[in-house]
Amino acid sequence: MDPLAQFLPQVWFFILALFLFLYVMLDGFDLGVGILSLTSSNEERRGILMTSLSNVWDANETWLVIMGGALFGAFPLAYGTILNGLYIPIFLMIFGLIFRAVAFEFREHAKRKLFWNYAFGLGSFLAALGQGFALGSVLKGITVDAAGRFAGSTWDWLSWQSVLVALTLIQGYVLIGSTYLITKTEGELQDTHYRTAKIAALTTLVGAIFITISTPIFYESARTRLFQEPFIYIFAAVPLLGALLIWLLLRSLSRRQERAPFIWTILIFTLTFAGLALVVFPYIIPMSVTIYQAAAAPSALVFMIIFMGFLIPIMLAYNIFQYIVFRGKVTGGHYE
Amino acid sequence: MDFLSDTVVLSRLQFALTAIFHMLWPVLTTGMGIFLVIVEGLWLRTRNPAYYHHARFWSKLYVLNFGIGVATGIPMEFQFGTNWAAFSEAVGDFFGSILGFEASMAFMLEAGFLGIMLFGWQRVHPYIHYFATIMVAFGANLSTVWILIANSWMQTPAGGEFINGKFVVQDYFQALLNPFSGHSILHMFFATLETSLFVIGGISAWYILKGRNQEFFSKSLKIALAAAVVVAPVQIWVGHVSGEQVRRYQPTKLAAMESQWETIPAGQAAPWSIAAWPDEKGEKNDWDIAVPGGLGYILEFKPALSEPVYGLKAYKPEDRPPLVWLIFYAFRIMVGIGFFFVALMAVSAVQWLRGKLSPEQIGSQRWLMRAWILAAPLGYIAVECGWIVRCVGRQPWIVYGQIRTAEGVSNVPASNVLTSLTFFAVVYTFLFFCVLYFGARILQRGPNLNLPVPDFEGQLPVEVEPAEHIPDSRPAEAQQEAQP
Repeated sequence: MDPLAQFLPQVWFFILALFLFLYVMLDGFDLGVGILSLTSSNEERRGILMTSLSNVWDANETWLVIMGGALFGAFPLAYGTILNGLYIPIFLMIFGLIFRAVAFEFREHAKRKLFWNYAFGLGSFLAALGQGFALGSVLKGITVDAAGRFAGSTWDWLSWQSVLVALTLIQGYVLIGSTYLITKTEGELQDTHYRTAKIAALTTLVGAIFITISTPIFYESARTRLFQEPFIYIFAAVPLLGALLIWLLLRSLSRRQERAPFIWTILIFTLTFAGLALVVFPYIIPMSVTIYQAAAAPSALVFMIIFMGFLIPIMLAYNIFQYIVFRGKVTGGHYE
Repeated sequence: MDFLSDTVVLSRLQFALTAIFHMLWPVLTTGMGIFLVIVEGLWLRTRNPAYYHHARFWSKLYVLNFGIGVATGIPMEFQFGTNWAAFSEAVGDFFGSILGFEASMAFMLEAGFLGIMLFGWQRVHPYIHYFATIMVAFGANLSTVWILIANSWMQTPAGGEFINGKFVVQDYFQALLNPFSGHSILHMFFATLETSLFVIGGISAWYILKGRNQEFFSKSLKIALAAAVVVAPVQIWVGHVSGEQVRRYQPTKLAAMESQWETIPAGQAAPWSIAAWPDEKGEKNDWDIAVPGGLGYILEFKPALSEPVYGLKAYKPEDRPPLVWLIFYAFRIMVGIGFFFVALMAVSAVQWLRGKLSPEQIGSQRWLMRAWILAAPLGYIAVECGWIVRCVGRQPWIVYGQIRTAEGVSNVPASNVLTSLTFFAVVYTFLFFCVLYFGARILQRGPNLNLPVPDFEGQLPVEVEPAEHIPDSRPAEAQQEAQP
């Protein structure tokens, strides 16, 4: 293969993985806080939870839009096929995101807040659920024809494996949401989230163990791949490192450290994500369509790098600036 | 009810519904962003607290529209994959990259600075805040640029060719600067600005008419009017040039806009129909009221044409746009509103020169204020009509002359699309009324003229410890309503 035709799709695979990772981490805590708001005991607490997100939710969600646009441009075949195949989970996510997004503003103005509280909490849950189903069914594999187009049926995405992945992802979001709230709150509210973080860490762990064990048992294609060199080493190393990180996380929670739990959780997400990416590479639709088959023409990939690639550090810079401006604890239900 | 089992029709309906609805919100925030830059700039220049309070008041409406704009924009992007997978695959190399640019340059710029613009008043120095406001407005307008490039390319695909059904780009800059891009971007830029100016002016007029904060709102009305003096006439000119381009590149669209069935040869006088009823089966108009030589004056400023204008009958029935009546009337409504805006601007400008818009006298300009209130929703209607002309007029092509809409659709059962379409219709209608309701509530409360103004000298915002933030412990309603 022409070295350029090989190198460019790899660059874009990396960029997309970066976008997806940023999205999962940032909107992850965002959606997690949303799901946790369902357990808030009163309006004041819910107000603090939502204020902790009010200046960042929009930027966090934008990584999803960027990821979608980049996938569309760099791997048009995969964009069409995956979204076509995941019609229902994608719309679950979309309706979830619509409700939680409008809830930020509407709840603020509403006299009766109950409906918008649920719109926010359940919307977050629905969005996470849709994403979990999407992830689960992409990992399980999407039925395609010889040209790589979707050839399955409507309910292909629903299987016990995708349910398992969805539940685990939701737990993961709750975990990162809890550890984020530990950094943003104090007093009683912080105590609550030390507890939810602990519970979520354990449930996420259980889900992760199930997925790790069941993947090679039930997926033949994954099995043959995982037990080959060099994947076997990765496959062995990821769970061990993961166990270590979970232990560090639980220890930091017991010691009531404020920032460490969030950092350990991010590392757990990073590790899981890197493990998945390595197992999937070079497939963009796992085990059926590779990045080379789905990639746009090299000229298109170069064109996109010129316009988009150099923006990545700039985007990161002003996102980080925003987090710096709003650092510190959230004490009331409003920013001045 | 055959269409209920037709994936193509349902997917088109869904795209149309979500697009028509989505358009309502960014059209305001894009233009209002520029207005916010102006008032905040006036505040920084004059240090007059009134301008600061304008910035705070209008940004409340801004954020209400912004949130729902984001929420309804995300489905637009994803529908290309869920409902139009074949289209996405065929044109992704170019079209997909453009959507990616929009997200990374425009959307992220807006999102990255919005938090500071809305909540950062007491946390960053006023100049940094102003920078954030400028970036938000700039990002929104960059969005317009990229979206209009993408849509223009669907209208006049340039810069490459279709090989085996897939668009292969040969020259990216030619594709970016396709024949429609330039004027379409300008037309939409002025449309968002004009809509926002008349919304701001209309709301200000409502307060003036009610006798509330007359001095305060005569300021915003005058800012809107001053901008409209330039924007409204320029928009007519840009629209005219866009029409000339449609004639050159999309003759079937022009024929539908004018409900023109027969070709008018060069050298003949071309009439222009004010109103007509097209009969698509009979390939004629059931009736029409026409101005002799009108079309010639519109297109070439003279009664007789120097080049022919093709009628719909010059094209095979399957290559003609459907719903000719819709395109015909949508076009006329858009143009009519454009001229109404110019007239309202002109009358108001005369009254301003006569000194009738001073805070003391403006309250007596009751008819003028009513006309401004009437104008407030018209910009939205004009924009929607413009997009109907643009996109329904492009049919039956998804990429003009290259890919038919029916060839671009996903492999999805009609029942799925019907379900998602129904959800969209219900949820969006509900949200539409929610925005009206909460928007009305913001207007009822009016501006808070007691908000403390940030000071320039004593503030080193990066040093401000979060502990200094003293939360208002009253309930949210009390905080907003307790102002006299």
